[in-house]
Amino acid sequence: MRAAFSDALVAAAMADPKVVLLTGDHGYALFDAFRKACPAQYINCGVAEQNMVGVAAGLAKAGFRPFVYGLAAFVPIRVLEQIKIDVCYENLPVILIGDGAGLVYSHLGTSHQSTEDIACTRALPELTVLSPADRFEMAACMKLALQRSAPVYMRMGKSDCGDVHAQAVSLAAGEVLKVRSGNAKLALLATGSMVSKALAVCAQGLDAEVWSVPCIKPLSAPLLSGIAARMDGIVTLEEHSTSGGLGSCVTELLSQHSGVPVLRLGIEDRFSSHCGSWDYLLTEHGLDLDTLSRKIQSFARTLPGR
Amino acid sequence: MESLRDDCMTRFNANTIRTAVLNMAYHGATVHVGCAFSIVELLAVLYRQHLRIAPTDPQWPGRDYLVLSKGHGVMAQYACLNELGWLSDEDLARYFQNGTRLKGLADAHVPGVEASTGSLGHGMSVATGLALAAQLNQTDQMCYVLVGDGEINEGPIWEAALFASHFKLDRLVVIVDNNGFQAMGSTDEVMALGNIEEKFRAFGFDAVTIDGHDEAAIDAAYAQAKTARNGKPKAIVATTTKGKGVSFMEGDNIWHYTRLTADTHAAALAEVAKPKRGVL
Repeated sequence: MRAAFSDALVAAAMADPKVVLLTGDHGYALFDAFRKACPAQYINCGVAEQNMVGVAAGLAKAGFRPFVYGLAAFVPIRVLEQIKIDVCYENLPVILIGDGAGLVYSHLGTSHQSTEDIACTRALPELTVLSPADRFEMAACMKLALQRSAPVYMRMGKSDCGDVHAQAVSLAAGEVLKVRSGNAKLALLATGSMVSKALAVCAQGLDAEVWSVPCIKPLSAPLLSGIAARMDGIVTLEEHSTSGGLGSCVTELLSQHSGVPVLRLGIEDRFSSHCGSWDYLLTEHGLDLDTLSRKIQSFARTLPGR
Repeated sequence: MESLRDDCMTRFNANTIRTAVLNMAYHGATVHVGCAFSIVELLAVLYRQHLRIAPTDPQWPGRDYLVLSKGHGVMAQYACLNELGWLSDEDLARYFQNGTRLKGLADAHVPGVEASTGSLGHGMSVATGLALAAQLNQTDQMCYVLVGDGEINEGPIWEAALFASHFKLDRLVVIVDNNGFQAMGSTDEVMALGNIEEKFRAFGFDAVTIDGHDEAAIDAAYAQAKTARNGKPKAIVATTTKGKGVSFMEGDNIWHYTRLTADTHAAALAEVAKPKRGVL
């Protein structure tokens, strides 16, 4: 997925000299190809993220297409006010990349983990929020981001979870992508790293539909309610807080269109307690395969019509 | 496009601007009069003699940029934009009223206002980005940013200062309105700033301190900043008086927050209406 990001970024910069990359002194290996191909479009802003976003806004006002890269703990969390006022209020075409979103920096602790970025960013008007699950979705998200002459935040989470699609996909704003058909009247809606987990749950014997949600905002209410209308229940899965994330988006939208029960799985309003690997912390938060499978099966048994 | 420089030098008269500010503040029942009065000459000289803009197009891509980073001084800028014809007399007359477009802090949706800066410490970074854009585009656009002295408590100001110096943005001109006060008291009492000129010089700027109400000195400082192509961003530390122009407001920080009454409005108007020596 990271290679797909780098490829798309380099292609965009080579096609348009107004595309510039701003980084807060992060992304060493990730930007090797970019620095080689487009050195004049690479701007290391130093360890100063607030200024970096303001500079990006100034560049965008003057006709540039800035990408702003940082760890998700810093972009968007540390610079939320700059994103709100300098970028979103003027609807400037700045593309913000938050790398290592979720629990990716598991060993480094709370400062580098980001489990609130969707909640914070989706409340900002004008901002599109993207969350790709694999390399194909990354390519589609980059294409969508560049098409929109408006602010975009793309959360880049665990990047080596494997492909969830068999081939390249196209993505329109608001669209959800089906990654598995199923006969059970249960739909799993997942984003980022949790799409592969949802597929793994199904591989253990649950015949549910699985949908990836690479575009968290906007999210199409008609598409969601169309899915909900065929289901007895819906489960949302995200490597993010259940307060304000994908599960919140889905339940908010469906509340006006559907009475279908929704189980929201994610990180439940708390910080990580321990040091450990990504898998270890997923388990701590109940997002490991066994716990997910047990919770989803248990939920499925409670649904009417079963 | 330097049409403003061809205009009559009587435009952007400091007394006229202060009169407009008093009327806006009184009829809108708003505060921040003292904050607007300390920057009147700094803005007037810039608009009258230096800022390269297209009179009929606030968005002209070749314009010089002016970012009012101390957004609470915006009434002074509204008065200038009214002189340009970008804001109407009715805009000013209805300032702060329901359903109108002029808010109490600088807002980039207003023609001629480059950034939304009510939250302090934002404008300098946006201005730095504009200056970087001009450098990348190899244009000779100047980028002026006016910050408050209290505002430079904010960390991003110094992030931007490092950045501007590192990238040699020598068309960035930071104007510090050094009126010696911030919201809750004097800058010495609240967060002592020391020697601001030396601080900017230490960050790699060409820095100078001037009398921020002496229009000739301001003109000379802007002219010097425009011509010095030496790879260094510029800092003009303007020593100013909060509430300048009205005797009972000068140096009294209560005019950060106080609304005008009919009596204080009339008394202040009488003072700013008097021609002053050295002012057209």
